[in-house]
Amino acid sequence: MKRQQTTLAIFLAVQILVIAAIGISFAVSSRSTTPTQQALSAINPNTVPTVAIERSQPIRIQPLYDDPEVVSDEELAAVLKQIRPRFPQEGTKPNYVEHALRTWGVDAEFRDPTLMSGEKMKDFLVDHGRYLASWGEEVKPLLVERPTGVTIRWGREKGGSVHHDHWLACLTEAGVNLNEAVFTPTRRDMTMNDVVQEALRDFRLDERETEWSAMAFGLWIPPAKSWQTASGRTLTFDDLARRLLRGHKRFGVCSGTHRLYSMMVLLRLDDEFEILSKQVRGDVYHHLENVRDLLKIAQFENGVWPANWMDGANAVENPAMLEEYKNVIATGHHLEWLAIAPKDLHPPREMILKAADWIIENTTSKTEEEIASKFTFYSHVGSALALWRKTRPADYWREWLKTHPEEPSKSVKASKD
Amino acid sequence: MATTLSDLDSNETDPEPELPPDVLAHSSMLQDRCPEWLKTQKSLAVLTAAVGFTFLVLSYFSLWHTDLWGHLSYGRWIWEQGALPATEPLMTLANGMPMINFSWLSQLIGWGMYSIAGNEGLQFLYASSITACVILLLVRFYKRTNHVVWSLLGVGVFLWLEWQHLRIIRPQLAGMLCHVSLLTLLVGTRWHKRNWVVIPVLFGLWANLHGSFLIGIATLAALCVGRAIDVLRRTGQLQAVVKDNRVRRLFLLTELAAVAVLLNPYGLGIYQAALGLTANTNLQDLVEWDALNLKMKQGQAAGAIALALIFAYQFSPRRVSVAEVLLLLGFGMSALWVSRMIVWWAPVAAYCLVLHGSAAWKQFRKTQTSPAERQGKWSFISLGLVWICFAFTPFGNFVMHGRHQETERAVSTLTPLGAVKYLNEHPPQGQVFNTYEWGDYLLWAGPKNMQVFVASHAHLIPPTVWQHYMKIIHTSAGWDEVLDQYGVNTVVLDQLSRKNFITRMKREEKWKLDYEDSTAAVFVRKAPIL
Repeated sequence: MKRQQTTLAIFLAVQILVIAAIGISFAVSSRSTTPTQQALSAINPNTVPTVAIERSQPIRIQPLYDDPEVVSDEELAAVLKQIRPRFPQEGTKPNYVEHALRTWGVDAEFRDPTLMSGEKMKDFLVDHGRYLASWGEEVKPLLVERPTGVTIRWGREKGGSVHHDHWLACLTEAGVNLNEAVFTPTRRDMTMNDVVQEALRDFRLDERETEWSAMAFGLWIPPAKSWQTASGRTLTFDDLARRLLRGHKRFGVCSGTHRLYSMMVLLRLDDEFEILSKQVRGDVYHHLENVRDLLKIAQFENGVWPANWMDGANAVENPAMLEEYKNVIATGHHLEWLAIAPKDLHPPREMILKAADWIIENTTSKTEEEIASKFTFYSHVGSALALWRKTRPADYWREWLKTHPEEPSKSVKASKD
Repeated sequence: MATTLSDLDSNETDPEPELPPDVLAHSSMLQDRCPEWLKTQKSLAVLTAAVGFTFLVLSYFSLWHTDLWGHLSYGRWIWEQGALPATEPLMTLANGMPMINFSWLSQLIGWGMYSIAGNEGLQFLYASSITACVILLLVRFYKRTNHVVWSLLGVGVFLWLEWQHLRIIRPQLAGMLCHVSLLTLLVGTRWHKRNWVVIPVLFGLWANLHGSFLIGIATLAALCVGRAIDVLRRTGQLQAVVKDNRVRRLFLLTELAAVAVLLNPYGLGIYQAALGLTANTNLQDLVEWDALNLKMKQGQAAGAIALALIFAYQFSPRRVSVAEVLLLLGFGMSALWVSRMIVWWAPVAAYCLVLHGSAAWKQFRKTQTSPAERQGKWSFISLGLVWICFAFTPFGNFVMHGRHQETERAVSTLTPLGAVKYLNEHPPQGQVFNTYEWGDYLLWAGPKNMQVFVASHAHLIPPTVWQHYMKIIHTSAGWDEVLDQYGVNTVVLDQLSRKNFITRMKREEKWKLDYEDSTAAVFVRKAPIL
């Protein structure tokens, strides 16, 4: 009998010990912030922490120059007139709307009713109902619901946003509020914040395109410098910058020029928020100096920077047979990042002037149909030139209309994707 | 014909021949005056010779060229930083990847040993851990069978099954030693009260030495469940199961072991982390995570031993316990699923084979064993063997003479010594592409801050980077484009298994062969990507 009691007591003691040990371990783990506990919480995807965003409006990278020699008032107006957002109501391509919105901003207004105002463009992108009205039910929704937030359908599929996080970067650059409602097919309680958080979560550093993610994250989350992804990886702006630096300069969308723009955005953000380490900042700056030096020797006599600008002098000495629009892309995009870059990173001024002259001439000489077919590329021209006048297209156009009546736009037929 | 321990000893107990008185006086001078407690049997000398020979041979094994160096690098990092890393600290492309370091204590021990005794210290660690397993198994086998040959046979089976995994010095060896220790404690003929302390302490250590502590808990649980089923089958009463001392003991031990595991830097979370490790998709590309098959040498060994087990069970007069079936089938099935699991199956299989094989053999031979005579000379021979087998090792040489052997002799011939020397003299610019097997050594011995592409801790590499590695290493379509995407300016390849890749690189316009020897080739991009 006594032995039985002893056995029972030992058994109960062990059970108490087990429960106490588990309880203590759990309590210690949940309160601890040691590296080991950080690693543990990182491998558990259910506990991905959200990033506290301190602002309701995204950061705006201020242009640095107001240079009428680069683009005069009339020239800028002429270019902006060319890139007004005139899209067919049926099968409106999100990629086009995204480009137009980032260029013109949410507050853009046009007297011509056939043009999409900034507000309408924004609504098309954030409201599934508007998207549905344009595309019907034949395509999958643009806004994809997830248990943890909202993501955007991207890729080459019909009616999708073409590039990863391009939707987000464009709305961010356009100045959409963090609390802006995002209406998905079945939910009406989502906001831009849910999209930002989901983008932070599902970002993969080694994916093909990181340019827009880098820009969007940079314009929203500073002074936070790091975040955790759904895979548990902790990423920093240093990692983003290193990723943008990685590999041959020819890689990246639009002949690698978006990488340069995103790098420049990170450098400008670093000026204010110190989001980069000294080493990485130095590496980015050195890279852009290297690009500047290439641009010095890669410009054609007429001011064009070709799509293979990274080949330097060889690009001019042995010109590649490139379609003209590719040169529009390269020249327009280079002017865009140079507009927010310090002068030390500029090629000689006369090269910038020549490039601007060529791109203005090229843009203004195109028909509406030609512009419409390559709208995304030309939208960057408008954006770049407005930056060189230290203004925004919406503001400039508003002022311009006060003295100049807006010509009605011709209806342009655009095919679906 | 097999010789049992009793056979060996019986030769020593023959009656002495009649001798003249002067010779008798002489004989008395040779009388064994060794204290009784120091006397031992001849069998000990035989087993010591076997163990000593094993230790001696293992001590001369070269240090393998793969993950040993990665573990040492982590050990060095932990020592220098005084903390465990939250994220992978060595590979640039794995920046920010969460790192649960199950083996931090093994890595620290390895780094400590290297710091004190260099490569010889590592060779000693390697030989000691395997020899410790051999000793534990030999002692247990011998105590269970009282048969030297069957004991040695059991150890031979264990080494054969484990061989491919034993070749590499890494924390898994510590896990294996813990596993063998646990098994030998649990299958002893007598239960010692000290085991209530020893086993939880063992698990406390195990959880910090290697992530395989779950194997130990599974072993305990299997023994407990097995015993419960045995009792239930025998008595048909559930109450008998509850009252069974061994069931209770094993149940409590399982609980205590599970609690002891909590004494690790990750606490409770280590369970989830250990369970989640196998789900990593990168591991599916590694041979040791493949299913076991007969094309593998270890698969052939496993097949042969499985066959031998069938025979042993067929003829064994011993009762078969459910626990051993659970362990054999459980670990066996998991080894079929992932070949690496053979590490845990091997000691169980060896034990079961020895137990039932020897029982069947005894029944077949119907021999009676007589108690063997203990003599002092066997003790001294055993001690002498221990000393010889220690003194003639590289580590013994270092301890006694302070001499280090040449690195070339200490490391495997597949170690890229020449390539690393070249890289140290010509530090690579930017990203390096390297074969997976060499990432660790390049991190360890290559230029400081060298950006290796991958190393053997594959589960810490971002999946996309891993996929890109596979694309390049198999020269799949677009492989050279991926090298450009990563801005790789230097490629380090091994001659043994990347011959075709090297040939292809030699044909590439963009690359020039900058270094080559019989082990490695180093290519450098003619126009570096900056």
